[in-house]
Order: sequence, then C-alpha cells, then structure tokens
Amino acid sequence: MYSAHYHLLLNHWPILGTIIALGLFLVAIFANQESLKQISLVLIVFLALMSIPAYMSGNAAQQALKDAPDLSMTMVENHQGAAFISLLFMELTGGLALLGLWRYSIPRKKGYPGARLSVGVTGIVLLFLVTTVAMMGITGNTGGNIRHPEIVTEPGAISALGTLGGKIVPMVQDFVINYSMWIWPILEDLHFIGLILLVGALGLLNIRILGFLKPLPVAALHRFVPWAIVGFAINIVTGILFFIGMPNFYTNNPDFQWKMAFMVAAGTDLLLFYCTSAFRSVADVGPGDEAPFTAKLVAASSLFLWFSLIVLGRYMPFFEVLQ
Amino acid sequence: MWIRDSPSLFAYWFVISVHAVGMGLLVGASVIIDLRILGVARDVPLSPLRKLYGFVWLGFWIQVISGAMLIIAYPTKAYMNWDFYLKMTLITLSVVVMRMIWKRVFSDSTLKEADMMLKGKTLAMLSLILWLGAVTSGRMLAYTATHIRYDG
Repeated sequence: MYSAHYHLLLNHWPILGTIIALGLFLVAIFANQESLKQISLVLIVFLALMSIPAYMSGNAAQQALKDAPDLSMTMVENHQGAAFISLLFMELTGGLALLGLWRYSIPRKKGYPGARLSVGVTGIVLLFLVTTVAMMGITGNTGGNIRHPEIVTEPGAISALGTLGGKIVPMVQDFVINYSMWIWPILEDLHFIGLILLVGALGLLNIRILGFLKPLPVAALHRFVPWAIVGFAINIVTGILFFIGMPNFYTNNPDFQWKMAFMVAAGTDLLLFYCTSAFRSVADVGPGDEAPFTAKLVAASSLFLWFSLIVLGRYMPFFEVLQ
Repeated sequence: MWIRDSPSLFAYWFVISVHAVGMGLLVGASVIIDLRILGVARDVPLSPLRKLYGFVWLGFWIQVISGAMLIIAYPTKAYMNWDFYLKMTLITLSVVVMRMIWKRVFSDSTLKEADMMLKGKTLAMLSLILWLGAVTSGRMLAYTATHIRYDG
C-alpha cells in the first residue's frame, strides 16, 4: 500500500459525509428530535476530524503523480486550493457543531428537562454546513478532473474557489517557513501548550474515573473538558500549519500516518464520551463512588490514546531520519 | 554516548518521548491545580486536589531522570546554551512555587475553600506564568543550541 492510497481511501468521506450529515440534520430539525440533532452534530465533528488526514493525504497523491506526462499542475494546485478552503470551513463547521453539542453533555440534576439546541446555533451550524457541502462538491470535482478526463466538460476550466485557495496555501507556507525563523519554534511551543491542556484536563477526569482522587465528584470535572478542547483546537491549527509548512517531511512518514490515525481515534473518543449525553451516565458518580467498569474502559482508552499521540509526536523526526 | 548514537528506538528518541510525557504529568497536573485555585470549575472541591501533587512529583522525577539522560547524551548542547540556564532557573522557581502552594493552601486542613483560593491566588497566577516560561524555554533549546556536539 502506497501513501497515495490513503487519499483515495479518505477523500470521499468529507463529500458524502457532509451531505449525509446535512440530510440527517434537516430531518432532525423538521422532526424536532433532539437525539437525532445530537447524532448529526457528532457526525459533523467526526467529519471535521477525518477531513484533516483527507487533506494531508492529497500531498501523497500529488507526489505519486508528479512525473505523469499528462498531469496538469494547474489543476492539481486548483484542487489543493479548493481543498484548503473546504478544510477551513469544515473545521469551522465542526467547531460550531461541537459548541452546539456541548449542551447535551452538561450534567443535569434529575427531573431537569433535557437539553435543547437553540435556534441560533441550529441556524449557524446549518449555514456553515451548507457552505461546506458546496465547497466539498467543488473540491471533489476539481480533484476528479485531474485524473478523470471522462468527466471534464470544459477542458482547462478551473474553479474560482480553487484559484483563491491556490493563492492562500503558498502564502501560509511562506509565512510558516520564511516570515521569521521564530514562527516554527513558536508553533511548536503552542503545540506543547495544547498538549499540556489536553493531558491536564482529560488526565484528571480519566484518573478520577479510574479510581484515583475519589473524593472528587465526576460531574464537576466536566468543567475542565473545555480546556482540553481548547488544547486540542490549538494543536489541530498548529498541526495543520506544520503540515502546510513542510508537507514532504510528513507525507510518507509512517509515524505521521499513525499519528493521524490516533488523532482521529483520540478526538472521536473525546467527542463521543465526554461531549455528548453519554457523559451523563458517569455524571452521577459522586464523591467516594466507584465508576462503572465501562466508564473505566473509556478512561483507560482515552489516556492510552492521548499519551500515544505524545510519543508518536516525539518519534516523528526519528522516522524522518530513517527514510 | 549510547543514548546518542544507538540507532535503537529505545535510546535517544525514547528518552525524549519520556521527557514529553513527564512534562504532561508535571505541568498538566500543576496547571489544573492553578486553574482551580483561580476559580475554574468551582464545583470541583479544592482540598482533594492535594492528591494530585502525587502526579506532580511523579512527573517531576521522571523529568529529572530523563532530563539528566538527555544532558549526558548531548552535554555541550545544554551547557553551551544560555537558554538551558534560563530553563533550569524557571523550573526551579516553578517547583518552589508549587511547594509554596502546597504549604500555604493545602497543608492546613482547617482552611475553608474560599480562604484557600484567596491565599493561593497570587501564587497560582505566578505558577502559570512560570510554567509557561519553563515549557517555552525548554522547547526553544532545540532552536538556540549552538554546539550540538563537541565537534559541532
């Protein structure tokens, strides 16, 4: 399996996924079903995670094709530009969806009515989701045009979205690499600060669930989870900037590929168990109480995934040396 | 020498991974204590957090041991770099402040929670700033080193 395979494996997820999420979300809104809304929002955030490796694997496809005689670099750059803007909107949509999702996870006292998604959040998520669906469509089309002449209706035609993005990507790369020799170290520093927030906030919650610091009520620790999410967001942004800065450093690095898989897994773990109503099942674990076994399993998996990400991150340059 | 030159996965890169994990424990646990003292997550009772100090000290000793191994691997990289001394100073101050928080906030079990927060407020803020400085100066070691090896 070549690295370029990953792009073929991943690149349809954001396109089809956002369409499915949009359909599901619309049904949920019309049926006024909170649980269905929650599922749609989970799907949106998950797709925001999946879109990151989908975008990054594009570089492997480009490397694999770069010597093909009939390859149009203009089309490749156009596709990359469209993909970059789509990724940006996908991440924004994911962030907004997570914001909406959050209210479902907040522990509530018994008898309190269930959480409802506000009209404002519903509207703004919907707006961003529709925009993202449209952009993903354009991205898919510009990408398909590269290797599928049978679908090209107007030879040489490129999308305006791709042209715009095609200008932004090199600008971002230039900023990360050339603007100042200190940009990269500052990004690394921020990446470590994000790590500390993640490990600190989720670590405390997870060790409590596992049975340490038992006088702490689990529900109250939920207040620390937003700090972990902020840390994760910092690391996603800085991580994407690293990749745009030096894509060829990462693309074929097996350690990086594993790290992206773990990133999606760890993010999904955080999303499913601590940012949805699933958290409510541990919220009544009060001071001195033992958490249920399944909750301990989740906590252990969370610790394992996040610490693995640290180790995979630190081993990255080692695998670069090996190549 | 073995740490530096061994091509094994378990040498230099292993030590540096352990150093990053230890940082997560040490600074992560410290930051949580600081944030709680400053009023984040007020529903979390403060006094049981004293047990989190176990993880702070565990992280601290992991850092001392793995850090010493990194110095043995690349002595000139550390000793010939002004940033290394800045890092050591900031870590010492950070740890001293964590101990002060322990003594002033956590060791008197008669204190009410509001008093604990009041007493720890300045120290917690100082602690956050010092840890930020310590992590930053640590990260910058890689970019400020002038003598990676004796012959470099």
